[in-house]
Amino acid sequence: MAGRIVVVDRNQKVGVSPLLLGMGLTFMNFLRSLFGRHATIEYPEKRRTISGRYRGIHLLTVREDDTPKCVACYMCATICPAECIHIEAGEREEKTIEKYPTRFEIDLLRCVYCGFCVDACPEEAIMMSRENDLVGTSRAELIIDRDRLIARGRLAEEGPGYRPSDHDVRRPVRIAALERLEREHGIVPRMPTRSDLIPPSQT
Amino acid sequence: MPKCTIDGRETEVATGTTVMNAALGLGIHIPHFCWHPDLPVDGNCRMCMVEIDGAPKLMIACNTQVNEGMVIQTHSEKAAEAHRTTLEFLLVNHPIDCPVCDQAGECYLQDQYMGHGLHDSRVQLEDKVAKRKVVDLGPIMLDAERCVLCSRCIRFEQHVTGTNSFGFVDRGNKTQIATFEDRPIEHGYSGNLADVCPVGALLSRDFRFKTRVWFLESAESVCPGCSTGCNVSVDHRDGEVQRLRPRRNAAVNQSWMCDEGRALYKALGTDRLVSASIRDDSGRRGLSTDAVLDAVAERLRGARVAMLATPQATNEDLFAFRLLADRLGALLDFRIGNPQDKLREREDAVLLRADRNPNTQGCLDLGMGRSGVDAILDACRRSEVDVLLLQGTEWLASVANVEAPFVVVMASHDDLVLESAHVVLPTSVWAEGDGTFTNYQRRVQRIRAAVPAPHGSLPRWELAGALLRRLGVSFEAATAREVFSLLARAVPDYGALSHRTLDPEGHPLPLEIGALG
Repeated sequence: MAGRIVVVDRNQKVGVSPLLLGMGLTFMNFLRSLFGRHATIEYPEKRRTISGRYRGIHLLTVREDDTPKCVACYMCATICPAECIHIEAGEREEKTIEKYPTRFEIDLLRCVYCGFCVDACPEEAIMMSRENDLVGTSRAELIIDRDRLIARGRLAEEGPGYRPSDHDVRRPVRIAALERLEREHGIVPRMPTRSDLIPPSQT
Repeated sequence: MPKCTIDGRETEVATGTTVMNAALGLGIHIPHFCWHPDLPVDGNCRMCMVEIDGAPKLMIACNTQVNEGMVIQTHSEKAAEAHRTTLEFLLVNHPIDCPVCDQAGECYLQDQYMGHGLHDSRVQLEDKVAKRKVVDLGPIMLDAERCVLCSRCIRFEQHVTGTNSFGFVDRGNKTQIATFEDRPIEHGYSGNLADVCPVGALLSRDFRFKTRVWFLESAESVCPGCSTGCNVSVDHRDGEVQRLRPRRNAAVNQSWMCDEGRALYKALGTDRLVSASIRDDSGRRGLSTDAVLDAVAERLRGARVAMLATPQATNEDLFAFRLLADRLGALLDFRIGNPQDKLREREDAVLLRADRNPNTQGCLDLGMGRSGVDAILDACRRSEVDVLLLQGTEWLASVANVEAPFVVVMASHDDLVLESAHVVLPTSVWAEGDGTFTNYQRRVQRIRAAVPAPHGSLPRWELAGALLRRLGVSFEAATAREVFSLLARAVPDYGALSHRTLDPEGHPLPLEIGALG
């Protein structure tokens, strides 16, 4: 732990100059926001640029034929720490993907916007938008259903928020976990690790 | 009695015991697909390879008998390599269906992959052999792609139901499971096919897409469908029963249960009675259970009472009911004719019995067959009975015909026939309370509460207890367990038993009924 050591001399006399310096800074900021760049914006007419990884209100993606990509696997509902996702599954005509959500509701008032649902989704079906203004006239209105999750209004202008292809969430988590277990705790489980599974010629 | 050493632990087993069973006896789990405790050994999946000292090659644990001095290693490097490679082989053509597959979470392939595989697939998705999916076989959905060809379903059909519906068709890596011309499964044990299938190839249509299994909680109970008393797990979520699954009990139902029993959970949540009611000249009024019990107790004082018990009730219910009958000096019975008649008769060749009541034997053990139902109905006709107390609704229709005096009925479900009763008391049912059933073999088995009873309903023993207290009899028990200990004190045959000590497989009593308490 190499930290910088600062020695403070408590006996030193406090002059008036640092006080004036500080007040000057405040005054400069006051002038700057009065005539120049504002610290605030005129929301909601103006909006800030939000990071591409922003975890805003969820959205459901669709396939080319406009059916939801979601296969109702309940992974998001399983991982959700706020237990705010409610899914009911139904049978699809198409036999290769036989399951789809007849109901998919997120209680946005319970949601903690952790993004775990996005990480857990095996189909890239649930993502997050960059919408951060959650407004409604009733609680019921903020329990958002499947069709509203698909039709995310401002997606076109703002682009999506947090999504699985965003960074390395697709990396096999289990191998990372195994490697970390060995590195940090020296535990090699009786399960094979990556090196066991790939023939020497490939490594 | 050969001795062997498995993973460094010595054990002595009966001659002819397989390595698989010997290991299970030590609590050692050897990965497997085709082996099933209640089906004949087939040895086709090659998953249960173990290393045996002195044997030139690995051996399958399920079909190798233990010899004197055998030294077996179930997870040595060589064995683990075999498990891993066999698993990779089984997964070659397995589809990536886990997100949509109902078996996920209780799937052998998933479990073994997490425990022994963890390899990255070397087969490209488009190279996998495609097979038939979503084949409707009536109560069962078949997905041939997910099948690992273990033949458990084939053996189940051969040896348990004798119906032989399933067979393998085609060869090599195109082999798949099928029924002839996709005929639906029609025997009454189809649900077990979904249970024996280690993967998601055969799935229950009833449970299809209902929920994911990891959300389920389970209560160990007994099926109330007939006097066999199959052991079941009551799988429930958010206070609703989602399905019944057989729980293995070698002495009662092995690993099976019938479809009729499996469907019983559906009635739990529909048309339930939630409020006690009383009928007088001005019509039927809903009242609090307490108020209705007060009114009933008032009628019972000094009245000539007849009581009809129900073999649907638990031993605890029956015992409290009998205490009430003793206090009132009431006529008491629960069925017409010779009680022994159909008790042990079978309805089909597997499990289902003609007597569809779970606790007929309990009724007999607790001395409910006293007066005869005919005699009671006759007494009603001759106006020798002032109050008729029914523990269930079975006889209500017959009672309505004899113009019985004041009829009090305990019922769980709303039914038109209840209109004929003067007082209706809502009760909880088997999945909502603790208790015991005594099956046709005189095996006392525990049932456990899985879901909460509808608000306003009480267990039958509690209703009887409340009446006893109102009649000035001390009835101290506050739980079913306490009622059972009162019962054990009163009925010698049950003397050694208690809810706490009753073992998971139940307790068999001698077939001869001893002195009644």
